[in-house]
Amino acid sequence: MSDAAALPSLKSDQLFINLGPQHPSTHGVLRLGLTLEGELIVKAVPDIGYLHRGTEKLAEVRGYHHCVVLTDRWDYVSAMPNNLVFCLAAEKLMGVKAPARADALRVMTCELNRCASHLLFFGTYGIDVGAFTPFLYAFREREMILDLFEMLCGARLTYNYIRLGGVGMDVSADWLTRAKEFLEYFKPRLDEYDTLLTYNPIFMARTRGVGLVSAAEAVNWGLSGPNLRGSGVNYDVRKHDPYSGYESYDFEVPLGQEGSCWDRYVCRVREMRQSIRIIEQALARLPEGPILAPGVAKVPKPAAGEVYAHVEGSRGDLGIYLVSDGGISPYRMHVRAPSFVNLAMLEEKLAGMKVADVIAVLGSIDIVLGEVDR
Amino acid sequence: MSDAPQAPTPAAPIPAAAPAAKPAPAPKAPLPEPKLNAASGRLLTDRFATWPQPIFDSKWSRQGYRNGALMLAGILLGGGLLGALIGELAPWGDALYALVASRAAAAGFAPPAADLAWTLIKVLIVLHVILLNGLWAIWWERKISAHIQSRVGPTYAGGFHGWLQTAIDGIKLLLKEDVTPAAADAPVHALAPAIVVIPCVIAFAPVLFGRELAAASLDVGTLYIFAFAGISVIGVVMAGWASGNKYSLLGGLRAAAQIVSYELPRGFSVVPVLMFAGSLDLAVIARAQEGYWWGVVPRWFAFYPVVGQIAFLIFLIASIAETNRVPFDIPEAESELVSGFHTEYSGMKWSIFFLTEYGYVLLGSFLLATFFLGGGASPLPWTPFTLVPSWLWMLGKAMLMMFVFLWVRWTLPRMRVDQLMDFTWKFLLPWSFANIAIAGLYLAFRLR
Amino acid sequence: MTQDELFAKIQGQFPQVQKAQIQVKDYLTVRLSSKDDLLPLSSWLKENSFDYLDMLTGTDYLGPTDMKGYISQPNFNPFLPEGATPQIEPSAAAGFPYRPVLDLLWSFVSLKEKQRVIVKLELQRDSPSVPSLTGLFKAADWQERETYDLLGVRYEGHPNLTKILTPEFTSGHPLRKDYAHVKDRFDE
Repeated sequence: MSDAAALPSLKSDQLFINLGPQHPSTHGVLRLGLTLEGELIVKAVPDIGYLHRGTEKLAEVRGYHHCVVLTDRWDYVSAMPNNLVFCLAAEKLMGVKAPARADALRVMTCELNRCASHLLFFGTYGIDVGAFTPFLYAFREREMILDLFEMLCGARLTYNYIRLGGVGMDVSADWLTRAKEFLEYFKPRLDEYDTLLTYNPIFMARTRGVGLVSAAEAVNWGLSGPNLRGSGVNYDVRKHDPYSGYESYDFEVPLGQEGSCWDRYVCRVREMRQSIRIIEQALARLPEGPILAPGVAKVPKPAAGEVYAHVEGSRGDLGIYLVSDGGISPYRMHVRAPSFVNLAMLEEKLAGMKVADVIAVLGSIDIVLGEVDR
Repeated sequence: MSDAPQAPTPAAPIPAAAPAAKPAPAPKAPLPEPKLNAASGRLLTDRFATWPQPIFDSKWSRQGYRNGALMLAGILLGGGLLGALIGELAPWGDALYALVASRAAAAGFAPPAADLAWTLIKVLIVLHVILLNGLWAIWWERKISAHIQSRVGPTYAGGFHGWLQTAIDGIKLLLKEDVTPAAADAPVHALAPAIVVIPCVIAFAPVLFGRELAAASLDVGTLYIFAFAGISVIGVVMAGWASGNKYSLLGGLRAAAQIVSYELPRGFSVVPVLMFAGSLDLAVIARAQEGYWWGVVPRWFAFYPVVGQIAFLIFLIASIAETNRVPFDIPEAESELVSGFHTEYSGMKWSIFFLTEYGYVLLGSFLLATFFLGGGASPLPWTPFTLVPSWLWMLGKAMLMMFVFLWVRWTLPRMRVDQLMDFTWKFLLPWSFANIAIAGLYLAFRLR
Repeated sequence: MTQDELFAKIQGQFPQVQKAQIQVKDYLTVRLSSKDDLLPLSSWLKENSFDYLDMLTGTDYLGPTDMKGYISQPNFNPFLPEGATPQIEPSAAAGFPYRPVLDLLWSFVSLKEKQRVIVKLELQRDSPSVPSLTGLFKAADWQERETYDLLGVRYEGHPNLTKILTPEFTSGHPLRKDYAHVKDRFDE
């Protein structure tokens, strides 16, 4: 902004650019209307809704079991927490509690999925700042997690694994062995990522001090997940409002310092390490027993009431507000989508930045358009 | 017979007309028993059988490294022997010129005609160096990038490590539709690739391929190369403007700013070399680096304490920036500007941009070898090395430098526009000036 | 701080704020009597460590969703025989108080106290409007636009109250229960 203001006498025209909806680094169908003054951005207007499928309305005409399938399609990069949050809300409505084994499996799959999602972020963020190689490294490992999910539930992206009252399929001994093998394989790779990208001087120059969000700002914007924690605010639903037995796991919440793109990035990379810790604990304690709670009807008709449930999804605080009128389908479902809330700050943050920083900031917010538009 | 379960051999029906002398085909190995996922009932692919194998610990990988090392040693040894058999190329060139001249005289042409024919022949040779370099460098880059990224790269086309991949890609590019966008300024759009590629080819005229091996021996060779290499940016700006695309326009503008800025440190970093050699002629510069300190260390400019290393690094960095490659690829920044100035190009026009890029990589590599790595001089003063002809040493050094170009390309992220400009104006340029001063001190105290 | 202590604290400041009849399970739910209380209450909450506006939305209590306009054929389930009535058709549940109101909801979180308070307000369905919270919480910006787009609530004082999820050429507010899809240029 200062550069443009320094030359008031120079007459120049502004350039309007449509960044998206088809662009290599908008991570989906986000459209940004950028008004440029040379390389500087004067105004940025995000335009969303290209992927709006109206799942909240669709849920009003579907049974509770069918709604789990809808949830897979929000954050298609990490669908397990989506399944989980709907099931938690519906279980609260019905007064059902998932058995211990199902809880451990839910924790395990959600954390694995968080790793997969953060690996995707790691890879694509590398591409966003111009380093292509980390992408291939990240996908090598992500592929293995997806293989694990394929073994578990037959799907690689939209799992529909977590069901009302528990989980859909039990794990085999083979799967557990492979999961342990994977964790052993994965741990040293995280150090590799640090040497490859995290502490690369050019990468740090591109991302440190860029897109600063102070703690107060982050809270005011309602950011959540690594975006909030990157600013140093310690808010993690797993610690603040534990669900599925997270209170009994020993893990830390990585925090950033200044709220720059680099802090948000580092939070995610460090979170993968904590996820590994959680999965290891869950594998060690995995109790025997049923995986589905009794008493979940094939066509559930919970009593009239309202519930709110939220989980720490891969992108932040993912919540569901569910109203039942006693019928066979939810009377109203509202999703508190973290990507949607996080993206709202983009418009204000981008003004005065360089074009290259748009990509760095947008990438560091880590949105999934399926969740933004729902 | 062991008591391991024996796979049933398929009863292969022998055709009646088959000649009896032909041996029966060996029975195929039985397919592994299909594994089903217990949960989903889906077929599991066989990657689960060896999964997850740490790539760097596997037996396969260790074998691969051993094979690779053996192959590299074989190439070096074989290339050296072949080169020693061929010997220096300059006498062959003289013989060829004598042949052309005698033929022209016999046919009754005036002597200038023979010179013209000889020049055409040299132009064709240099042109083919650039074209073949495109074929080679693209394949090599694909292989190097693949191995850096724990992939294998092209393996199919041509059989041996996919060596034919670039040729087949080239055929594909030739056959592709050449699209001119409706919003484009068609004549300029078509002219831009030509403006980009022609200076690149022209700049190769004085490039030294061996001790005395160059298409044209120019007293101002260094200046000539820098002058022509700087013209290409006009074509890039034209391409950005004429495409009628805002991303292309931004890319063209960025290219103009970047290349013009990096011309300066690039030019000034060579000044110490010119001061030591006392000439702008590439052959003289290369000859000035022959010989050894204490009989072992080659007197290359890269080995001059402090001054040589600074000049080498600045020239290398500026050369990478001149070729628009990562970490300086902001004119075609894929994640920001889609493809920058060549977003709207397709088919052969697009591949001409690509060819030019690799042409400049080759030019930069040869210049680095000439200015700093002693040209065609052998790195070691002993017999087997000195027998290798100078053009082979030159090629080897240039390829080593090209490897550095590719290696950097696939390892580093991209810089931002303002960081790029800060880097050249506030860091590279002052240091290249300081370097000139240091070189002056060397000369003043006769430390050379 | 338990829910009761929190409620006592709120009522000490705003005596007209009542506990909602239907509580959102596990969280304190209060109901405003008029929309004039919204801004004072939320700014008071913001000062008292409830500075994180987690979510805002609304519910249309008119009745079950009208399927008209959503499905092109009366029998959209391909597994059902010709002419059969659709399996899943929401019907009015007995004993549920359907009424022509929009029930708006704001959810404030205190990161320090690990507490959540949900504020509710009922509005009439025709031309509903409430004051916007964008002056206090920037998080309200897009969420209010979303609620405006999908439920048709006007947030007075919002700097840019425009459609956000649905395209410009569509009309109506999809999450209202009587919404019927109007055929546009993208149908068939």
